[in-house]
Amino acid sequence: MRVVIVEDNVVLAEGLKLLLETSGHEAAAVLGDAEGLVEAVDRHAPDIVIVDVRLPPTYRDEGLRAAIQARRARPDLAVLVFSQYVEEVYATELFTDGARGVGYLLKDRVARVDEFLGALDRVAQGGTAVDPEVVHQLLTRRQHPLSRLTSREQEVLALMAEGLGNGEIARRLVVTEGAVHKHIGRIFTKLGLAEGDSGHRRVRAVLAYLGG
Amino acid sequence: MLVEQSVRGWRAARYLLLTLATGMAALPLLPLLVLPPVLGQARRWAEWERGRAHAHIGADYAPLPTSPMPERVAERLRYVLRDPGTWRSIRGLAVHALLGTLVGIVGLLAALGVPSALVKVAVWWAVPVPVTFVGIPAHGWGSALIGGLAEVVGYGALFLWGAPAVVGGYARLTARMLSPSDAELRADRLSERVEELSHTRAEALQAHGAELRRIERDLHDGTQARLVALAMRMGIAERMVADDPEQAVRLLREARGNAEGAMAELRDVIRTMYPPILTDRGLNGAVSALGARCTVPTRVRTEELGALPAAVEAAAYFAIAEALTNAAKHAAATSVDVAIARTGATLRIEVTDDGIGGADDTRGTGISGIRRRVAALDGTASVVSPVGGPTVIRVELPCAS
Repeated sequence: MRVVIVEDNVVLAEGLKLLLETSGHEAAAVLGDAEGLVEAVDRHAPDIVIVDVRLPPTYRDEGLRAAIQARRARPDLAVLVFSQYVEEVYATELFTDGARGVGYLLKDRVARVDEFLGALDRVAQGGTAVDPEVVHQLLTRRQHPLSRLTSREQEVLALMAEGLGNGEIARRLVVTEGAVHKHIGRIFTKLGLAEGDSGHRRVRAVLAYLGG
Repeated sequence: MLVEQSVRGWRAARYLLLTLATGMAALPLLPLLVLPPVLGQARRWAEWERGRAHAHIGADYAPLPTSPMPERVAERLRYVLRDPGTWRSIRGLAVHALLGTLVGIVGLLAALGVPSALVKVAVWWAVPVPVTFVGIPAHGWGSALIGGLAEVVGYGALFLWGAPAVVGGYARLTARMLSPSDAELRADRLSERVEELSHTRAEALQAHGAELRRIERDLHDGTQARLVALAMRMGIAERMVADDPEQAVRLLREARGNAEGAMAELRDVIRTMYPPILTDRGLNGAVSALGARCTVPTRVRTEELGALPAAVEAAAYFAIAEALTNAAKHAAATSVDVAIARTGATLRIEVTDDGIGGADDTRGTGISGIRRRVAALDGTASVVSPVGGPTVIRVELPCAS
């Protein structure tokens, strides 16, 4: 994978670069702020862009805004927003324009290298990756429409929101793929998602999940 | 009109007669003012006299605040001598003894002039000494009646118009003389404010100290300990990697667990210090995020707040978070309304829920936590929560920047 990294913290940027290069990927460019992002994307044609939320000049949420803007300019661009802390509203904003090729993860997740690279790969392929912390924030809502789901169904949906496929979900929950399939069917029914393109329903389920 | 004027005359005469009595009583007291108990009485008298004067001229009267006296005699003496109220009372007493006695005599004349003239007209012929009317001895009924009429008219005019005028002037003089000046009142208010501020400042310092200790403890017991454990495992793994790679991998996995734990704890500590979303989005954005996350449907009404001090933002954020938690957890509310507004140098927050009410400081630590945090910034917090609801939590924070 060719990756463009937008991260102002040199230690973290170097760490990410090391992690990518030792895993056989290429860090095409490391930017200190989001200003040249679209230009760098045009020049390097990366498979994915990793963007920190807090960036110069104001150190607020310009990374998040830059990611949203970059995706408006280049809808196919895969973006992983990477942050020291996660906020549900940020996830909602990030996924409003569609969940294809979008990820939102805590920086903590680099500690589990395989899972992190898996998520990176998934997002680059057009999947989604949502941090379990965001999912947790969403699930603590008592009157959420999703409260109709059983706890197992919620677990399945949480893993779907993280962008995992049925096989991987089955492995994580230590159940058969058939059982996962049934759970997903019931989730679609309970969320009122009509039959149709199953991939599309999947995204809509995740969006219902994120949008509240 | 004449009746009305008579009532005024009578009121004035009564006031002046009382003035005469106190003025004459004050005269012999003047030298005794060196005695502390007499001085204390003088202050009490001054306050009474001031109240009387205010009542007469129909001005608003507010009793002067009495500050507690120091315990020890020497300190009390120094306090009394330094207090401007003491000197005001002494000055007032001296003026009252002299001028008060004089105007009191006017009152006496006004009150007794007409009756005494009538009595004189009735009895002048029967008494052995010559009776004078307007300074002229009466020689016959003619001169007695004319002289008596002149005295009745003169004293009557004094009673009806003279006394009210004199008493009006004297009451105004007394009120002005015995009331503290504007500058003095300002100084009083200032010293009160200083006392209040040193109190809240002490509380703020205490709260700040407690907060620092909590952060230190969290970092020391949590994050730092985990980092030590992590470094230790990595060090051992480094030595083992050649001989026992399997064991080394296990240790590295544990070390990663330590790192994850440290990161999660660090995030929690940072969140309790100053929630990062405040930096990113300001108070309005952060509160909107809080509302979106609340389990009870929440409406946030807000306006442009301008730049706010970080401590005020954090206190406001935590107060609202706490109020929302209360509404969701204890109040069984179905909707919450959050209003944030800034008027000048005051930030006002109002959180209203339609729950069961009955919230008070004793139940849970939420509301008293809000109060402490807000008081530390010289703000105020109030909770109105009748049984049956609704609950309204109001917070005001000074935010001069």
